[in-house]
Amino acid sequence: MEEAVVLKNITKRFPGIVANDRVNLQIQKGEIHAIVGENGAGKSTLMKILAGLYQPDEGEIYIFGKKEKIASPNKAIELKIGMVHQHFMLIDRFTVLENIILGAEKKKGIAIDKKTCRQTIKKLLDLYNFNLDLDAKLEDISVGHAQRVEIIKVLYRGADILVLDEPTAVLAPQEVDELFVNLRRLKEEGKTIIFISHKLDEVLNIADNITVLRRGKAVGTVSADSVTKEELAKMMVGKPVLMKLDKAAAEKSDVKLSLHNIVMKGNGGKNSLNGVSLEVCGGEIYGIVGVEGNGQKELAEAVIGLRQDYQGDIKVCGKPIHGLSIKQIRDSGVAFIPEDRHRQGLVLPMKVWENSILGFHRKDKFKKGMFINIKKAEEFTLNNVKEFSIMISSIHQEIEGLSGGNQQKVILSRELSQEPEVILAAQPTRGLDIGAMEFVHRQLLQKRQEGKAILLISADLEEVLSLSDRIGVIFDGEIVAEFAPEEKTLEDIGVYMLGAHRKAGESA
Amino acid sequence: MKRDRNYKILALKIAAPVIAMILAALISSLIILAIDKNPLQVFYTMFKFSFSRLDSIAIIFFNATPLIFSALAVSIGFKMGLFNIGIEGQYLIGTFLAALVGFSLKGLPAAIHLPLVIMAGIAGGMLWSFIPIFLKVKRGVHEVISTIMLNYVAYSLIHYLIADVFKDKQQSLVEGLGSVLVRTPKLAESALIPKMHGFLSIFGIQLPKHVYLNWFFPIGILLAVGIYYLVSYTPFGYELRAVGHNPEASKIAGIKPDIVYLKGFLLSGAVAGLVGLSDLLGYFKYMDMDFPQGYGFDGIAVALIAQNNPFGIIASAMLFGFLKRGSEGIQALLKVPMDTIVILQSLMIIFIVVITKIINDYVKRLEKKEAA
Amino acid sequence: MLTAELLASSLRMAVPILLTAIGAVYTERSGIVNIGLEGMMIVGSFWASVGAYFYGPFVGILFAMLAGAFLALIHSVTTVTFGVNQVVSGVALNILAYGASRFLSLVIFGKATTSHHVSGFSPIDVPILSDIPFLKLLFTDISPIVITALILVPISKYIIDNTVFGLRLRAVGENPLAADTLGINVFAMRYAGVIISGMLAGMAGAYLTMEHTGMYVEGMTQGKGYIAMAAMIFGNWTPTGTLWASLLFGFAEALSLRAGEGSIIPYQFIKMIPYLLTLAVLTGIVKKATPPAASGEPYDRSIG
Repeated sequence: MEEAVVLKNITKRFPGIVANDRVNLQIQKGEIHAIVGENGAGKSTLMKILAGLYQPDEGEIYIFGKKEKIASPNKAIELKIGMVHQHFMLIDRFTVLENIILGAEKKKGIAIDKKTCRQTIKKLLDLYNFNLDLDAKLEDISVGHAQRVEIIKVLYRGADILVLDEPTAVLAPQEVDELFVNLRRLKEEGKTIIFISHKLDEVLNIADNITVLRRGKAVGTVSADSVTKEELAKMMVGKPVLMKLDKAAAEKSDVKLSLHNIVMKGNGGKNSLNGVSLEVCGGEIYGIVGVEGNGQKELAEAVIGLRQDYQGDIKVCGKPIHGLSIKQIRDSGVAFIPEDRHRQGLVLPMKVWENSILGFHRKDKFKKGMFINIKKAEEFTLNNVKEFSIMISSIHQEIEGLSGGNQQKVILSRELSQEPEVILAAQPTRGLDIGAMEFVHRQLLQKRQEGKAILLISADLEEVLSLSDRIGVIFDGEIVAEFAPEEKTLEDIGVYMLGAHRKAGESA
Repeated sequence: MKRDRNYKILALKIAAPVIAMILAALISSLIILAIDKNPLQVFYTMFKFSFSRLDSIAIIFFNATPLIFSALAVSIGFKMGLFNIGIEGQYLIGTFLAALVGFSLKGLPAAIHLPLVIMAGIAGGMLWSFIPIFLKVKRGVHEVISTIMLNYVAYSLIHYLIADVFKDKQQSLVEGLGSVLVRTPKLAESALIPKMHGFLSIFGIQLPKHVYLNWFFPIGILLAVGIYYLVSYTPFGYELRAVGHNPEASKIAGIKPDIVYLKGFLLSGAVAGLVGLSDLLGYFKYMDMDFPQGYGFDGIAVALIAQNNPFGIIASAMLFGFLKRGSEGIQALLKVPMDTIVILQSLMIIFIVVITKIINDYVKRLEKKEAA
Repeated sequence: MLTAELLASSLRMAVPILLTAIGAVYTERSGIVNIGLEGMMIVGSFWASVGAYFYGPFVGILFAMLAGAFLALIHSVTTVTFGVNQVVSGVALNILAYGASRFLSLVIFGKATTSHHVSGFSPIDVPILSDIPFLKLLFTDISPIVITALILVPISKYIIDNTVFGLRLRAVGENPLAADTLGINVFAMRYAGVIISGMLAGMAGAYLTMEHTGMYVEGMTQGKGYIAMAAMIFGNWTPTGTLWASLLFGFAEALSLRAGEGSIIPYQFIKMIPYLLTLAVLTGIVKKATPPAASGEPYDRSIG
């Protein structure tokens, strides 16, 4: 059989990480080939290389047997590679038709030959049995239809190889079914489909062959018929190297953070939080795991007070916090380590010492009359720098110039130094190197030792397993299972995360 | 090595206005050459005319006074990431309210009347800045468009108030003119700002009568110092900058961006309310339809050149004051149109924004490389 | 009769607003805010006087459009290529236009504030329409620029809605990243949008000089560039909407000229109408404004 795509030893480095490490991949013409892996395994990077958005640092690409250099998105289109991005590249205020033809309009003089365009698209729709209203505005159609627009868009440009980046992440179950019908139809017509996902059920359902990526490396390609979900999960997660952490037994005290039946509306009528209840005691780390987009973000936002549009009770040290301002919630003893440190945690153009007091800049200890007591703030920062071994040239340096690990340490030192009772840590080690990661872990354990309650939300299963005293699996805005880390195998957790044993989880 | 880089960045930041000035001067030289004049002679004359006499220097200070206030008002907006293009309208309303208090209250001692007049100016500026910031915070209306619209509403409103409501009908008829001039009554003596002549004469500096340098100049300098401390060293100034750079992170840290926007914009408007007072209380003593316009836009230019630093604003306002004075000189002495200098000023703005943008991008790339 | 005359006057007042506002539609739809339209009108009004005085009305209008386009080119370089704040660039250009026009007026005509008298195009009658009794006054003896402006409305509507150029122009104003991934040259489209706006603002300036006043007078634009932006917003970023808004604003101006002493509403308040209406639109009191999604945002591929 002819090979549509062959990647040889593709390597792509970004500052501080190797996103793809000598990846080899062979994709047959006319197959649906899934690429699976955890968040950050390097799937999207690999596909962006194929789409001409990134250039690999090393390695070779062969398209239909010919060695090619995909220098731009245009070149990819020329090679008949079409990318369906996870975040749609569509224009809300355009009609479906306009979105499809944009950049590849058929012309009559200077005007768009809408009739010919329409005919061409109609033919495609008929051929693949797609259903789309070409004159609807994009902002008025459903996400599932918008995705169909993206697919037709690349077909309209003559794509033979379709790359779909996490196409089901945004879809409702019925829409996923429809998508799969469409994809199978495309396959019948001889198209090659590359399907990126981390949802194993779906992958097993749709793909012919599956390649697993882990930490930038391709760990193997298997046929979908010959592999079970459990085996796949194992390949994906790898052998959990439970880090040797000095996890001394901590004394569990009273409940310091409690959530009772939190319900929050999400987009499209679905609830993003669907009755979440949990309790975190002092001296305990409660880890929340789950596939991204199952309500983790909303949960954190409710606790810190960024979102107030929920029902249910959240209590910090016994006091309800619903309706309190963010500042009041923080003052009541909640520290927050946000998941996106650049957007949510730091003010990049400001100095290190200024970032070190962000949110506490009105505290009495940093006050001198009506002014900020700069000397105190500097002393405080220097103290943090020493205690957290933050590598900087000066506390007057803009924080922009620091490495990710050091930036995270600034946030950590700021949040932890205020003697919080509850620590809400969202993806606290995302994008950090091993050294910085271990440091963050030690700090969290230290706080646990000191009797603080820690709610840890992380996509990194190993991290949650090695740090937590208890684990809650979140799926579809619900905690579907709760257990101690040693009670369940990795496979079990994976199954809960995928929502398969939902009923069982509820009874657990 | 990192320290070296910090010096490099500082040097680049200072270099930006200097390069911009040189480029602007070069192009202006070409324009001057095109009208058969000698650019070197023109620039020499500007300096000589401006700096060889004390009264001329005092005029530069007087010229700079409204620009200091205006640029400070603009810079407060910029600090929090908002563009107050409505200084123009804010100072007209402020000036009018000040004039109103100035001519309608009579018999007050200056120690009470003058502060009242100044407060009226501040109140006017705040009033006219409240509308756009309220619309922004409550309805999401972009402040640039709303302030432009409000500038024109202010022009018409002031026109109405001066021509139809508060027109001074006590004036004696001007010869040959069928009616009295369209302007407000004269302000009471107690409402006027004293000149600095008396104070300066203590130091042996004698200024002639035709110089109108008044106490608003030192007030402007003090205000710049005050705003420097406010922005750099108070919790509110800290919030202003934090929200300006990253409203989301500020919000998560417990700061309320909307409240900061509101307070900051009102402060900007309050300062804007002072822009016209040096002219009103120190020169015209009444308000008419020809009251100087354009200080708001010049203030944007001054603030940009100073890169929003209050001390830089004093310097660049002086630069503009000098350019204005110098342009009068070259027109009078060399018959070179004073508008040459307006061209030079606008070129300077364009160059400075482009150059700072290039430098900032370069610095960012430099930092990214180092962090990696 | 008075109403027909008032309407005719409204139309004359509306034309410079309309031309500039159509230009504003092009630049805004490409995603670039152009506060410099006022300045582009100013240079247009001045260069029209130069061209018309020395070479006749056709060269006058040509010079005006070139001058507007030149200023627009500077705006494109600073905002599109260098990604400088679009408002700052526009403000600087307005100051430049003011200073340069005064300077050149002094050099060419010997006076900073006015040019010599210039003559415009010969007025024409619109066939058929000028024979209808009520419309007679509206369509007799009018400037060809008035007709051009009116014709530009459907033409622009067609260009923006139905041509490849228009589709791509709108695309870069709505979602430059998406357009870029489809191989559309975002920079080229934005340059085109801004330069068209400069040419039309220049033409509007030429109308003021050649057809309205008969000479260039300093400050003759009286903020019409800003009113044009307001008209464009009020017209919801479309050529047709812009036409009605410009006529309404022109009507307000014509009315304010007539409202002399003793009228119930002082003319200054009538003059405020365009601005207040625009504010009302923006606050959503009158109707919802929908600016292009990427308007005012510089596009930098490395950020995407």
